[in-house]
Amino acid sequence: MSGGVVLAEVWWEQLLHGILSWEFLEFVVVFVSIFGFVMTSAVILILAERKVMAWMQDRYGPLHTGPWGLLQTVADVGKLLLKEDIHAGKIDKAIFILAPSVFLAPVIASFAVLPFSPYISLPGAPLATGIVYLIAMSSLDVVGVIMAGWGSNNKYALIGGLRSAAQMISYELPLVLSLVSIVMLTSILRDNGLGTIAIKDIMNFQMAQSWPGKGNPVWDFIFEGFTPWAWFILVQPLLVLIYYTCGLAETNRSPFDLPEAESELVAGYLTEYSGMRWALFFLGEYGNMTIVSAITAMLFLGGWSGPGVAFLTAPGMAIGWQVLGNLLALFYFILKIYLLCGVFIWVRTTLPRLRADQLMQFAWLILIPTTLVNIVLTGALYLLLNALGVSNVVFLVVLGVVNWLMLFGFFWVVSRATTASTRRAVAPAVRARQRLVALAPSPAAPRLPEPERAGVTGAGASSGR
Amino acid sequence: MATNQGVNRPPLEGVAPGELRSEEMILNMGPQHPSTHGVLRLVLTLEGETVVDCTPVIGYLHRGIEKILENRTVMAGIRYMDNADYLSPMLNETAYVGAVEQLMGIEPPRRAQYIRLITNELQRIASHLVAIGTYLLDLGAFTPILWTFRDREGILSLFEALGGSRFNVNYMRVGGVLHDFPKGWLQQCEAWCNQFEKNLQELETLITGNEIFEARTQGVGYVDSQQAIAYGLTGPMLRASGVNWDLRVNRPYMAYREIKVNPQVRQEGDCYARYRVRMQEMAESLRLVRVAMDQLPGGPISTRTPIALRPPRGETYFAIESSKGELGIYFISDGSEYPWRAKIRGPSFVNLQILPELLRGHKMSDVVAILGSLDIVLGEVDR
Repeated sequence: MSGGVVLAEVWWEQLLHGILSWEFLEFVVVFVSIFGFVMTSAVILILAERKVMAWMQDRYGPLHTGPWGLLQTVADVGKLLLKEDIHAGKIDKAIFILAPSVFLAPVIASFAVLPFSPYISLPGAPLATGIVYLIAMSSLDVVGVIMAGWGSNNKYALIGGLRSAAQMISYELPLVLSLVSIVMLTSILRDNGLGTIAIKDIMNFQMAQSWPGKGNPVWDFIFEGFTPWAWFILVQPLLVLIYYTCGLAETNRSPFDLPEAESELVAGYLTEYSGMRWALFFLGEYGNMTIVSAITAMLFLGGWSGPGVAFLTAPGMAIGWQVLGNLLALFYFILKIYLLCGVFIWVRTTLPRLRADQLMQFAWLILIPTTLVNIVLTGALYLLLNALGVSNVVFLVVLGVVNWLMLFGFFWVVSRATTASTRRAVAPAVRARQRLVALAPSPAAPRLPEPERAGVTGAGASSGR
Repeated sequence: MATNQGVNRPPLEGVAPGELRSEEMILNMGPQHPSTHGVLRLVLTLEGETVVDCTPVIGYLHRGIEKILENRTVMAGIRYMDNADYLSPMLNETAYVGAVEQLMGIEPPRRAQYIRLITNELQRIASHLVAIGTYLLDLGAFTPILWTFRDREGILSLFEALGGSRFNVNYMRVGGVLHDFPKGWLQQCEAWCNQFEKNLQELETLITGNEIFEARTQGVGYVDSQQAIAYGLTGPMLRASGVNWDLRVNRPYMAYREIKVNPQVRQEGDCYARYRVRMQEMAESLRLVRVAMDQLPGGPISTRTPIALRPPRGETYFAIESSKGELGIYFISDGSEYPWRAKIRGPSFVNLQILPELLRGHKMSDVVAILGSLDIVLGEVDR
């Protein structure tokens, strides 16, 4: 026998074992369903956005394709797939064609580390550096946008691409800084003082506190592993706000949708795209929205924790209950994601768009200092209370109170800052007016002689109603 | 469009190879651009995102309305006035028939004057609703335009009941109006007013006081009162700069001689002030509509005028306060059925002239903020 045959046998057996193994099948099923979720999530979100916006704006939204217009986005996708692939002249072809893929790939890659339920997740989910990975992926998006802006050979696209580069890089900083305090919290809460940046571990901190009133099965079912009072949104509400604001900016959503500001830049970096390439950008954008919402849900809202999940997936339960518990967890997680996406939509219907320089000011002068102050404050407060020898619970309560106060202080400061900058902007006008008033006492209406009135006076006849 | 990369670009002069040089960029905004309100073309010279210079190019919507008027009898010409400022046809018609009446010395009956006032004020509201809706759309807010168009829809339905057509109403006649109010029209209008009062409040809550909106508009596009008068601005543009000048008050015509108007004036002179003036004018117009409906006199709706209308030889200028400013008709008659000349003094055209002056030094995002606050209608600019 030659060595080749042995090798072939090994290769054959290995492949067979690999394909037929439970782990591989599990991976395939989970991968396909999560990939399917990423792809269809955009379609569902677009439809939801159109319907919710229509509801908020007193109109119907899509109505005719399918029952209640439910198939509208399906039809749209079909149309986009079948469209002719149009290239403008003199584009930088390689960059132009590559840009949508470069934009979409990191978004899909981000989903690799999201734990969807205690059991359902891709092999990347236990990654110890989950947050860092997610942030890295979300920063890669900007490359695709710049490529699209440059490759299109269009001035609107170029301005859009450059704007978005500046914007995404600026908002990356407060986004990361707002997560630092969460990591600090985990290091404080852990006995050994080592923090974690693994997503699943951070989630566990928000549901590890076992329900104190054990005994009553109903209460156990609801509150086992579902402890909303331990969610980080209560301890760090300011960070949720800042993270979410930066998320809006990262995903180019209103009011930070400058790169594709329709009224100024036609469609920004998307101007020259059509058909499937355009759809890929949209897919990436809505996928990004899902990612931001998912991270918010996991880091601040307890991820997939909800009534019944921990109870049903406890080690002793039967396999049927385990499956049900996992599906329940999936449901809670996706519900939280879509509720947060709903906030995206709500914001979009409400707010006008910021100007590019105001956008930068907001990031560099307000968000970054606030997050830095928050980091310092969290650390200082811990050191202070630790020196006094109080327990972690008291620390969390104090931190929460301080953070809620900071949240309202933040609102106050932001409104003051906008008022102040507005006042600065109006100042020349006010001075000019004062000068005018000083020169001429009254620049009021030059009153012209009124023409003599024609005979329409006198009491009118009775109302003709 | 020029290239922004090295594909077909000749080597730059005066720059050594390997060296970078920045240059001003010329950007053609329009005529097919979402926020140039029709077909205005702005040739912007940009330094980065700052506007260095701006040249508005107009004429893409020129239909020769003034020439058409010369070739139509006076009565047939009224219909063409609808298309001048296509957001306020009633006001255009009023200006045109007002000029003819002034030349012929006709005084329309009181009821006709009141009907004209009601329709004019409704039209003013409709025009301002479009102005505010599109303005907020330019600034990136999506909802207001749909809310404002919902309310405008009510006005157009009222006009449809009145003249048979939603838009090109062709309702005014020399010496009066076409029809009296149909049965139930006033109740319908009253109901619309009540609804609109609530909706206006809602709109005010949504927009006014929004910090992003204020940051975008306050201090942007400042016009002081001297400048405003020097450029011949009229309407909300002028009143937002602190000049108390409203033709309905200062040179009252028709029923405005009996119903007093409170002119809405603001001192700031920026985009925000223009927005506020329009909002306040809508509330004021609503009040005027209600007052006019309360005091509506009976009687005929039109004087008897000959079918072949021959204005006497002579010339006259008649101006009304349109939604955008002073809408004047300079009417010259040679005594025939056809006007020898009918010059339209469109407020949009005059107000547009200040645009380059306002844009210089502002950011590119402010271009749409300022252009939207002028509230121009290209149909009237190009005529």
